[in-house]
Amino acid sequence: MTNCVEETGEAAVLARITRALHTVLGDCAPDPGAVTMETRFVEDLDLESIDLVVLTGELRAAYGDRVDFPGYFASLDLSEIIGLTVGHLVRHVVESLR
Amino acid sequence: MSRFLFVVPPLTGHINPAAAVAAELTARGHRVAWAGVPGLVREAAGHDAEVHPCAIPEGLRRPPELRGAAALRFLWQDVLVPLAEAMAPDTENAVRVFRPDVIVADQQALAGALAAERLGVRWATSATTPAEVGGAVAALPRAEDWIHGLLGRLRERHGDPGASHDLRFSPGLVLAYTVAELAAGHPPRPQLRWVGPAVPARTPAADFPRGWRDRARAAVLISLGTVNTDVGARFLTECAAAVRERAHRLQAVVADPGGFLAGTSDDTVLVLPRIPQLALLPAASAMICHAGHNTVAESLWHGVPLVVAPIRDDQPFVAGQVTAAGAAVRVRFGRADRTRLGEALDAVLGEPPYRLAAQRLRDSLRAAGGAGAAAGHLEALAQRA
Repeated sequence: MTNCVEETGEAAVLARITRALHTVLGDCAPDPGAVTMETRFVEDLDLESIDLVVLTGELRAAYGDRVDFPGYFASLDLSEIIGLTVGHLVRHVVESLR
Repeated sequence: MSRFLFVVPPLTGHINPAAAVAAELTARGHRVAWAGVPGLVREAAGHDAEVHPCAIPEGLRRPPELRGAAALRFLWQDVLVPLAEAMAPDTENAVRVFRPDVIVADQQALAGALAAERLGVRWATSATTPAEVGGAVAALPRAEDWIHGLLGRLRERHGDPGASHDLRFSPGLVLAYTVAELAAGHPPRPQLRWVGPAVPARTPAADFPRGWRDRARAAVLISLGTVNTDVGARFLTECAAAVRERAHRLQAVVADPGGFLAGTSDDTVLVLPRIPQLALLPAASAMICHAGHNTVAESLWHGVPLVVAPIRDDQPFVAGQVTAAGAAVRVRFGRADRTRLGEALDAVLGEPPYRLAAQRLRDSLRAAGGAGAAAGHLEALAQRA
């Protein structure tokens, strides 16, 4: 309720997730502009399933309990994990914050 | 005297530890036979090994670009299940002919588990990689459900449809060739025994030019194992460049089965199709590898810290464990360049905690008992009332 529109809109969430990805990926982080809604976690970012655990922790720090990240990752089947993009995650956050 | 039948997939990394355990059982006066691909088994277990040949599917080859969950899906759907289907009749036949007291089924040769439950033979699981034991897939519950579905259908066709245990884990005994420190957070299983690496009795010979080593410089070994031949060009090139930038204090021996760096050897970087890893490790200061379990275990066996660049399968899990244990720096296989690789090398070579952690793991791995401990657990299983 106290959130302003900028924080919960797609662009702001994308920016926040991009920052979290930089923390997770460390020295191998992508260029800031390189992460888009279409960026794939595995094929484009070289992210492993164990990185998703770290990413979950980062995002929990950003969004607290308002978004259920472990539940979201646990709900994905294999083909959804294979095709997972940053956009999928962004839309999940936006919908949870609504 | 008991009779043990080892059921193995056509994968050298899975046959080698089994061969070390089989040799130990034979030395203790037991009888051992194999169900698998004769040529591969005899390479590891000796030419006089009794092998009951198993059919395997044609073209068991995974597209090298597959990684992550795509590699997992392919492994189960297109490799392990067809392999179990192909091996099941021959494995059952081997059990009827050899009449084992215990079947030792590799975790990826599900035909062994299926034959054991169908024919009512006592059995053990030989878990060569710690990822299943460590619950690597369990973090993805729907992927785990999907695997259970595949296993259920295999059981209907080749096993005992009344059984309910997980085919990957014998309820009687699971041998894990690692230590609990490298499977932190694993789900508890009372039948699990951590035996450490079962170091093979025979090591394949490889040529090494005498006089190349310069003892004034530290030696780095670089290997992506035996199954990543197609994808290593960029990574190996960057590794070699990182070492050459430190030529005054480093030398590297590179395993390059794909021939990407052929003809580039000099007095700093030596490129060979295969390297005598076990012979070189005692005098090595660091290992750069793909975090395959066998390579990591061999490196830690000698207390050598690592730079790990996991590619797929159990490698991210193994890399995560050895990094968390403090004995390795993890880099990204697809992205790490010579700068990042050089920094990682400098860290494991220059910061004592990495070597100290590797030495702690060495002590732990060596105390676990290896093939001797595994043989002892199998003897106890054979004699269990």
